[in-house]
Amino acid sequence: MALLAVAAFPATRPHYGGTLRIEIRESVEVPDPPQTGRNLAQLPPAFAPTLWEAPSHAVYTADDNAPGGRPFLDAIEIQMARRLADQSIDLDLGKADLVELDANESRRAAPARKVWSSAPVRLLILVFGRRIEDARIREALALAVDRSAIHNVLLQRQGEVSGGLLPQWLSGYAFLFPVTQNAARARSLLATLPAPARTLSLAVPDPANRRIADRIALNARDAGLILSVAPLSSIADLRLIEARIASSDPARALSALAAALALPDPPRSDSPEALYAAERNLLDGFRVIPLFHLPDVYGVNPRVKGGLGITPLGEWRFENLWVDRP
Amino acid sequence: MIAAVKGWHAVLSALLFFIPPAATAATADEDANSAARELARKTVALAGKGETLLVIWRNVSSLGPAEWNQARAAFEAALKESGGRLSDAAGTPPAPFEARLTLSENRTQYLLVEELRKGDDRQVWIASWKRTGPLSLTAPAITLEKNLVWEQDEPMLDVAFPAGAMLVLSPSRLTLYTRQAAQWTAKHSVPLAPARPWPRDLRGRLRLNSATVQAYLPGMLCGGTVDAALDPGLSLTCRPSEEAWVLESGSRALLLGAFAPARNYFDGRVTSQSGQRKTIAPFYSAAAVEEQGRTLWLLAMVDGRTQMFDATLDPLGALSAAWGSDLAGAGARCGGGSQVLATRPGDGTVLDAVQAFAIVDRAPAALTAPAEFPGPVVALWSSGGAAAMAIVRNLATGKYESYTLTISCS
Repeated sequence: MALLAVAAFPATRPHYGGTLRIEIRESVEVPDPPQTGRNLAQLPPAFAPTLWEAPSHAVYTADDNAPGGRPFLDAIEIQMARRLADQSIDLDLGKADLVELDANESRRAAPARKVWSSAPVRLLILVFGRRIEDARIREALALAVDRSAIHNVLLQRQGEVSGGLLPQWLSGYAFLFPVTQNAARARSLLATLPAPARTLSLAVPDPANRRIADRIALNARDAGLILSVAPLSSIADLRLIEARIASSDPARALSALAAALALPDPPRSDSPEALYAAERNLLDGFRVIPLFHLPDVYGVNPRVKGGLGITPLGEWRFENLWVDRP
Repeated sequence: MIAAVKGWHAVLSALLFFIPPAATAATADEDANSAARELARKTVALAGKGETLLVIWRNVSSLGPAEWNQARAAFEAALKESGGRLSDAAGTPPAPFEARLTLSENRTQYLLVEELRKGDDRQVWIASWKRTGPLSLTAPAITLEKNLVWEQDEPMLDVAFPAGAMLVLSPSRLTLYTRQAAQWTAKHSVPLAPARPWPRDLRGRLRLNSATVQAYLPGMLCGGTVDAALDPGLSLTCRPSEEAWVLESGSRALLLGAFAPARNYFDGRVTSQSGQRKTIAPFYSAAAVEEQGRTLWLLAMVDGRTQMFDATLDPLGALSAAWGSDLAGAGARCGGGSQVLATRPGDGTVLDAVQAFAIVDRAPAALTAPAEFPGPVVALWSSGGAAAMAIVRNLATGKYESYTLTISCS
């Protein structure tokens, strides 16, 4: 018999019933509910999709025969493709129970919300295309970026500055990778390069990262690189993208990141020292430039009970949640 | 620069060949001391005997100064033992080698990370050892007498004490323990096999009557005998059942309540002590108290309120009390002759407490200070007389703990 994953249920016992109303920014443009990936795909088997109106609306209903018992909630209703600003307003107006928060919103004190935050699992990273063969250009950009300023101002100190692929909480050695800006050294690396070689295009697929990209372009200019920032372009010289930490096992997480970033598969590492060596090898040559590790942050209506509904990796776990009766 | 020491690799390989095998096992360290010693030996092997080193320490882990100082002392002692020499920051001339040691951690291990530098050259070593979880049980002052009787990793639903023994009801089994050399030792265990998955927030109740035991579970009733002197000492047969649970309160009052089979509450079908059947709103728990010679039932309703009923289960109104979902009756010979034990409201992420109350003019009056617990109370059942059983999930350790609660009249 399978043991229950019994949560710390409280002096006030969970209520059965009610609907959890969620809003997300992502637009899920597939004909059927996703079976793999994040968020929605993590709702089954506790909740089964009963309404799918891609790309904006879905309803998942509690399964009476779910492993560990029927969830307390009757249903989960998801509004997709919702702008962050609208999500925040809906939370404040009580029209939503769970919304995504950006860096500025998560710092804003509001009595009508709780905040859930994962560990820093979203890696914001610069990835060079194959065209940039001169390692001096790549290293110069790595040295030019002022991560601290971006972290303090644009990210409101959310998450952590990082020069490594794995975050400190997962590897324990991320501090070994340098993160300090060194514009003088960057300029000296570029000194002998002709101007056309110092002009690069930077693609930013997610508009939410546009301000960070603009700031990176400004840093690059100080070092002698000209970056033209544009939305996603397949011919861009480099891209500013997000990659996720997919496992709480550091070796697996590194392997998954390498695959996602089209880097060579690192050798299996059984010790922190070997893992560090593997990660250092991936970063050698500056094909990728890690910048920040950021958490998933959600604003939550206080009527949602039952503790955290996300794991440290940001996975949705809603089967033990319940909502107060109106 | 990120790249490892220029030109050092060949030298390092040769030197490490002479280091004892234990010192090279980066993952085999048992604690900070052996990790520090391992790094010290590697350091001297690379820098050379008699070389002066400037050592800089920092701690980015959750370990305290005691462990940090211990690691530091072990490193410095091993460094000297291996032939290395320590320099201070103001050393003259400046030490040719600088070792930066960082005490760090990840989810499963503590790490001691050394960056050994000589000019632009840099070598990194990492030694690690397993984390051990914090185990600190708090012992707050006790007003309502509480005694920890058992703890385990698996959830507990109820605990009862037949003669000379202890029964622990868990989601997967009922286990009989006997006392041997002041320790509870498992004597026999009977697995529970529900026909359908247990509901979330599973609840269960043990009822002892001399040598017979009953275990009430959602949609299932188990019955058997218990005698610790025999072998195996416990027999139990389970069957699907919608039979009402017997809810005792102190020594004198009881109520039969039908438990919703796939939920965490009683569905409202109740039978009073005089045999009257009623259907009331669903509730989580019930406790009887006496007020001016009359029996009152207090029920923690699913809607969050505490409702009062008379002995025939006719409603008398809501009780103005900020209580949690679990109530239990007690019959200590003080405080009006009967009491209700109540948990605090909360949502499972906060510490909990149980407090004893009397009912005076249909309002709760605290009789004792709260008995504080290191986590939420997940079950509270009357044990008869002045006692009750509380099951707590310790938020620090994640273990389930059972406590006897006794109202003392001294």
